[in-house]
Amino acid sequence: MSDELIQIETPFAFNEENQREFDALIGRYPVKEAAMLPTLHLAQRQAGYITPAVMKYVAEQLEVSVMKVKDVVTFYPMFFEEPVGEYVIRVCHTLPCALRDCKGVLDHLKTKLDTDVAAETNLAKGTTPDGKFTLMKVECLASCDVAPVIMVNDDLHKNLTPEKIDEIIDNL
Amino acid sequence: MVEERRILYEHLDVPDINTFDVFRQYDGYTRFEKAITEYQPDDIAKMVMDSGLKGRGGAGFSTGLKWSFVPRDIKPCYLCCNADESEPGTFSNRYVLEKNPHLLIEGILICCYAMGIETTYVYIRGEFTLGKKMLDAAIKEAYEKGYLGKDIRGTGLNIDIYTHPGAGAYICGEETGLIESLEGKRGQPRNKPPFPAVEGVFGKPTVVQNVETLCNLPFIVGNGVEWYTQMGPTYADTRANPPTPDPNTGTKLYCISGDVNEPGVYELDLGLTCSELIEVAGGLRGEEVKAVIPGGSSAPILTHYELDTRLDFTSLTLAKSMLGSGGIIVMNETRNIVDCLLNIMKFYAHESCGQCTPCRWGTPWVRDIVQRIADGDGRKSTMTRPKFGVAENGRWGDTGETEEIYEDLDLLESVANNIANVDTMTWNTICVFGIAVSWPAVSYLRKFRPEFEAAIREGKLVTLPVAEATVPPEENYAYQQRFIPKEFADL
Repeated sequence: MSDELIQIETPFAFNEENQREFDALIGRYPVKEAAMLPTLHLAQRQAGYITPAVMKYVAEQLEVSVMKVKDVVTFYPMFFEEPVGEYVIRVCHTLPCALRDCKGVLDHLKTKLDTDVAAETNLAKGTTPDGKFTLMKVECLASCDVAPVIMVNDDLHKNLTPEKIDEIIDNL
Repeated sequence: MVEERRILYEHLDVPDINTFDVFRQYDGYTRFEKAITEYQPDDIAKMVMDSGLKGRGGAGFSTGLKWSFVPRDIKPCYLCCNADESEPGTFSNRYVLEKNPHLLIEGILICCYAMGIETTYVYIRGEFTLGKKMLDAAIKEAYEKGYLGKDIRGTGLNIDIYTHPGAGAYICGEETGLIESLEGKRGQPRNKPPFPAVEGVFGKPTVVQNVETLCNLPFIVGNGVEWYTQMGPTYADTRANPPTPDPNTGTKLYCISGDVNEPGVYELDLGLTCSELIEVAGGLRGEEVKAVIPGGSSAPILTHYELDTRLDFTSLTLAKSMLGSGGIIVMNETRNIVDCLLNIMKFYAHESCGQCTPCRWGTPWVRDIVQRIADGDGRKSTMTRPKFGVAENGRWGDTGETEEIYEDLDLLESVANNIANVDTMTWNTICVFGIAVSWPAVSYLRKFRPEFEAAIREGKLVTLPVAEATVPPEENYAYQQRFIPKEFADL
């Protein structure tokens, strides 16, 4: 029922490599639906963010309704429903990092990138106009001993100082 | 000074320990081989029960007891390894996954053999990209070497391990939330019972264990129960008559962060005191300890009066706190407790899964109250009220004194206690997230009330000296109620 209500602009399909990975995934679980999170991760890696077309495609692949996919996508903070920059910078701001001045890290990044911090429902707010960076605050990244930390896409950067941050950003 | 005893972390820094060949040089997989050649599955389960191993994920529930609840006649049975390490202050599992993933695989193999399990899912939090990569590589190697897959080492055992990435939700670390998430749904916890041991993932019996718990298994099997139980204290559980032994055996990966000189993971026998741990971690950074969070951000805070508390499951429970996942956060005299509580409450308001009303609405409400106090807009009544307490006749009643009414502090305690009541230990929510919110909120307020009052009175955050900020022990109900357990051998 909900399928017809979704406006599909450009259809989505896995590329060959991701299709292979998806085929391997699906065999791991007794029900297809269980492959939801890894499949969405795959799709997001390919499409950049979860578009309605992605949701529809994933729903077809897993034989569930689109609504169920949407349900999951909205629950987990790691899935984006809006375009994000090429580099997503996640700044941890939970207590152990806060005790080691994560606010300074965030302020430094804000001035350096000349952008605001993304809100959960407004990622554009934290994305630079050239679409290169998205700056967001996240909860504990489980690296409290080397605080303050940030994650740039898949890479964790530890014990940050303003100089270190400059070096990381300039090398991207 | 207490010495580190590295068992799980012994070979962590050996170069290339993440590869099969190097792991093999350091007794890798010999414990699993010993298990399958020398013991029957039931023997292993009995060894784990006798070892007194308690789950390291947070609840501290006896692993052997958990295994005994699993019906043996329903197949398939699943093992879910909980690597969704998201409790603020905890970071020990990350190092196991990134540096020594084969140790986890060996632990999983032993658990699977003991329980007759053929499929294991390792639920890794989405942010652990490196950890997942290393574990995936190790699993691939183990398949190639014949330690995973069909007919392992010619014994007829079939064991598969799959990694499953999470996607950034804290609540998926709760075992039933993890199961829901593994099934491809929102990670909203289930009502218990039925417990996962009876009806878990895909409706089948499921054992959910933390990474650290599973990593203990090779050493219990390899070195024997007697060796294992020598580490850590065994207390007397006086609720039973005659008292029964309450083991807190083994080592714990204590994660210490915040204001210490050398934050990091220290593997020590259970049962050392808070001040000893701070000393091990290079001492305090600052002049004096203001507060210590003993078990991840959900644990009730300890004041500087309580630094002699032993950091083990039983002692901390009896001190009205918990060891949880062993994430210790130290705060020095420059820290403002209201500010710290605000940070933690923002975390919980963000991470509430939204399933139960008290938690969905209560957590943002608590956050807003603390925010208001921190902003200097905390509400205080102009009126006073009679102060209740221990009166002259020694009974609870009107003390004859009056006290000022801080409306927001009353409200804060009331809202938090209505998510979960910390005095009766009853929660109005499906999972224990409720108590994880109320515990810090109420304990920070009760133990550091002067700092909250000062913030309301002055209209801004005021950091008081440690002695003034802390409620003295004689006025601290939780401190009065604490109980120091006796060792079983002393009885």
